[in-house]
Amino acid sequence: MSQKLGLIPALTLLVFVAQNAMAAQSLPPAIEWIPQDAVISLELTQPKALLEFLSCEKATAAITALPLYQKQASSPQFKEFFNLINFIEITLGTDWRTALAKLTGGGITFAICPEDMLILIIDAEDQDMLQKLHEIFLNMARSGADQQQVASTEFGDVTAWTFNGKESHAIIGKRLVFASSPEGLKAVLELRANSKGANLTSNSTYQKAKAAVKPDAVATIFADLKLLMQIPNIAQALEQQRQNPMTALLLAGVIETIRDSNWLALELHLKENTLDFQLSVDGKTVSTTSPVAFAIPNKPGEGILPNLSVPRRIAAFSLYRDLHSFYAAKDDLFPERTSGLIFFENMMGIFFSGRDLTNEVLIETKPEIRLVVAEQEYDPAIGTPQVKYPAVALILRLRHPDQFNEVAEEAWQKVVGLINFTRGQQAMPGLIIDRPSQGKTKYTVAYFSTTGMEDKTNLDSRFNIRPSLAMPGEYLILSSTDGLAQDLIDALHQETEQTPKPLAGTHSMVELEGGQLASILQANRKTLVQGNMVGKGSTQEQAEANIDMFISLAKFLDSAKLDISVHEGLTRAGLELKLNLQ
Amino acid sequence: MVVQIDKPPAHEKSKQVHSSVTEKLTDPGWAWSAYQPDAQRPWTLAQAGHLYRRAAFGATWDQLQQALSDGPQRTLDKLLRPQADIAAFNRAYDEYSSGTGSADGLRAWWLRRMILTPHPLLEKMTLFWHSHFATNITKVKSARMTRQYIQLLRSQALNSFRAMLKGISCDPAMLIWLGAEANRKARPNENFARTLMESFTLGPGNYKEKDVQEAARAFTGWFVLRSKLRYIPREHDGNIKQILGQKGNFTGDDVIRIVLEQHATAETLVRKLYRRLICETQEPNAKLISPLAKSFAKDYDILKLAEKMLRSNLFFSAAAYRRRIKSPVEFALGIVKPLEAVISTTQLAQDLADLGQNLYEPPTVKGWTGGRHWINSSTMVGRHNLALALLQGSAPYGDKLNPWTVAKKHGCSTSESATGFLLDLFVQGDLEPDVRDNLLKPAGAPVDAGGDDSAGTVRRFAHVVVTLPEFNLA
Repeated sequence: MSQKLGLIPALTLLVFVAQNAMAAQSLPPAIEWIPQDAVISLELTQPKALLEFLSCEKATAAITALPLYQKQASSPQFKEFFNLINFIEITLGTDWRTALAKLTGGGITFAICPEDMLILIIDAEDQDMLQKLHEIFLNMARSGADQQQVASTEFGDVTAWTFNGKESHAIIGKRLVFASSPEGLKAVLELRANSKGANLTSNSTYQKAKAAVKPDAVATIFADLKLLMQIPNIAQALEQQRQNPMTALLLAGVIETIRDSNWLALELHLKENTLDFQLSVDGKTVSTTSPVAFAIPNKPGEGILPNLSVPRRIAAFSLYRDLHSFYAAKDDLFPERTSGLIFFENMMGIFFSGRDLTNEVLIETKPEIRLVVAEQEYDPAIGTPQVKYPAVALILRLRHPDQFNEVAEEAWQKVVGLINFTRGQQAMPGLIIDRPSQGKTKYTVAYFSTTGMEDKTNLDSRFNIRPSLAMPGEYLILSSTDGLAQDLIDALHQETEQTPKPLAGTHSMVELEGGQLASILQANRKTLVQGNMVGKGSTQEQAEANIDMFISLAKFLDSAKLDISVHEGLTRAGLELKLNLQ
Repeated sequence: MVVQIDKPPAHEKSKQVHSSVTEKLTDPGWAWSAYQPDAQRPWTLAQAGHLYRRAAFGATWDQLQQALSDGPQRTLDKLLRPQADIAAFNRAYDEYSSGTGSADGLRAWWLRRMILTPHPLLEKMTLFWHSHFATNITKVKSARMTRQYIQLLRSQALNSFRAMLKGISCDPAMLIWLGAEANRKARPNENFARTLMESFTLGPGNYKEKDVQEAARAFTGWFVLRSKLRYIPREHDGNIKQILGQKGNFTGDDVIRIVLEQHATAETLVRKLYRRLICETQEPNAKLISPLAKSFAKDYDILKLAEKMLRSNLFFSAAAYRRRIKSPVEFALGIVKPLEAVISTTQLAQDLADLGQNLYEPPTVKGWTGGRHWINSSTMVGRHNLALALLQGSAPYGDKLNPWTVAKKHGCSTSESATGFLLDLFVQGDLEPDVRDNLLKPAGAPVDAGGDDSAGTVRRFAHVVVTLPEFNLA
């Protein structure tokens, strides 16, 4: 019984009420009952659309097919939860989907206010059902073995209830108001009594954020960033990210914009099998004199290039990063000259024969940078490694390819030579350099030979690496394998024929393919299972269940796409999650 | 915390029993005879715990109870020659560890093997030989070679010392570790020959520098090239050598034969095993060691030697009881094993390295010194912290180890009863009466009646028990 009662708050939140036409006339929008100083608020205006999306036949089938779900479904707690749902269905005389739709169909509003105060307002469509459900939970709470403190008190014309002496809730018409403390409920009731009182909608920051959101959003989230930035942990985390050179390179402009913003608005749209999140902040666009200006397209029409498409692609990144400006600003970005940085510069000096890294090497690259990660296809004649790493390639666009090609080739061969020399010192086999062609493009590959090896089905991890350098047209490809380099030469050839347009204003984009991710996880299942066994202390069966769950989740995600751009002075990020519901 | 390792055991009954047999301990005939419990020297939970600490990595409650029921010799039969399919278990774990290419992976898999093996004595002896025939993966730089080396030790850990020594003399990992991967006629490499005589067999004082130089000549021609052992005949010195009084055109195999023929080898090894299995606080006299050394020198059968020691009156006497300091591995697995769970051995391997026992990385060619060297103010704090990490029920080990669940499984319904159970489980209740009373009195022990916080209070009590000086002794 106590476990059932533990479910009460959660179910109460989900289950209770919203509006029918009458109620809509009699009650103001729920957001007007949220205090003005709310730090974060969520408005789920179309809960039925989200419910339909998540509980449709395909989604239900996909979720119930997950090993994690199946494991949970067989647990006693889950069975008890099912029994409770059945009981509620019988009592309300309908199935849970219908009940949930009727109980939340008018919208759900949630807010986090200062001093850890939480407020949840749910607008039902069916007032009788709401009352009936509340009665069920009241009876359960009263008859609970652990004797929860069920109590009620009157606030004017409203009866406020509590199940545990802390949370406080009330039903007003078709609306359920729930607060984490009596003070929270009091604040809501005061706003109800005084319709002209200062609520969240009168907050100018909220108004600006709301104006940035499309009206047809299924749900929106507002966050007051100025208040959030006062939380030491958040400010510290952002500062730490900024001081890491790699993070600074990847997230340049984003961290600075967030720190400079007053508000954040996140909206959710639903399209067929896709969840589309759009995020906006109002921070100033990075100025051209800022150290992080290297990441922001400043001229009209500038932006990233579309991601490259290759077979077995797992992920692709397209970034707008002017490496020359980035490295020129390194003294501002990272004032401390670490030993790692000094070593890096020394090595670059060797590889590029004394050329200045900033003004003679990085200046030769254009800001359009792409990265591709793809599953490898192994030639049985060469051999298959036991652990199968994905191939990774970096694609740079060159300003003067005719002049720079030999410089790059020389540097690359020096790197291979250094690797071979170092490995030779340790009596380890080195890389063999070859110069094959893909179409009209000649490229360089270095590989470990498997000649003479008896078992080529279980090779060391080093056989995942066949470092390659290719320079088709104005591009430079630095790939961990020749297979991916070949695919990229073909992809760039096709792209050049079609003259791709930059995505104006967009400075970062990441795309992920769930099916291909699942495929490489599956290919390394044995290794992952064994890693889980010693890493977590699991049995083989438990480890297999854990890894299979990740594989299933990857399969459930058809694809994901994240892009960040600057438009009309606002920084926007879009996350598109396409689910595999087949 | 003061660890008193020179004191006889604390328990009153034990004191009486041990004092009555003290005078017999110097008599080899009696000392090495098989222990048969009697009214004066009964078979107790404390003795069962002692046996499982030495011949395994601790025991579960069921194992302790079964041992009490079986008696010492039958329990030893199971520990020395388990009925389980050891070969199948080891094949499975060889396969698991073959999937890892890193030292961290090898450590994690070995620790897991130690926890789950049906033949813990074999793993314990493998660990013993790893310290005796020490190699360090940092220098070897190859997980594959290190794996082969440890498989060699495991295959002979309770088998033939002769075969193990022969295997070690041509083990690539060992030769690389000793800097003996190239042994040319023109410049014989003395590293292996010296370590062979000083650490592996004869011991200091039982050979001369000339013996090392001559033995090095006998090993010439052996190389490790591209991770494989190779013999190049033209690099072998085929001239006459004189080693330990014998003269001839010796090869490496001959050197192995000659050192094994020396009485000092058997005696050195018996003394070393004595320190590991019987007592590390007092050196045994020659009279006590002599019969075992003579017997061992005949066939170098390790199992026979270990069996003799473990079955003996001496092993079950005060002279052996809690006369060793647990190594970090023994300390940690002594917590894990009784609590009947498997933890993250990846994490455990890192924590053990912090306590001074980084598997596959012994500090010197002499392995881990052990004994009092395990204990200092820093490592005692480290042991305290590791015990806390293991038992606190949160990261990094999670809630894998739950003393309250184990106590309930074995019939405890309140945290009060669980405390008594945990004292028996971890130290077999064998504490000085005042220590025991202090632990169990209301202010020190949990008194709730199995409520929600029982798990927490029992965890805290378990932590107190495993940080007692007595628990740090094997």
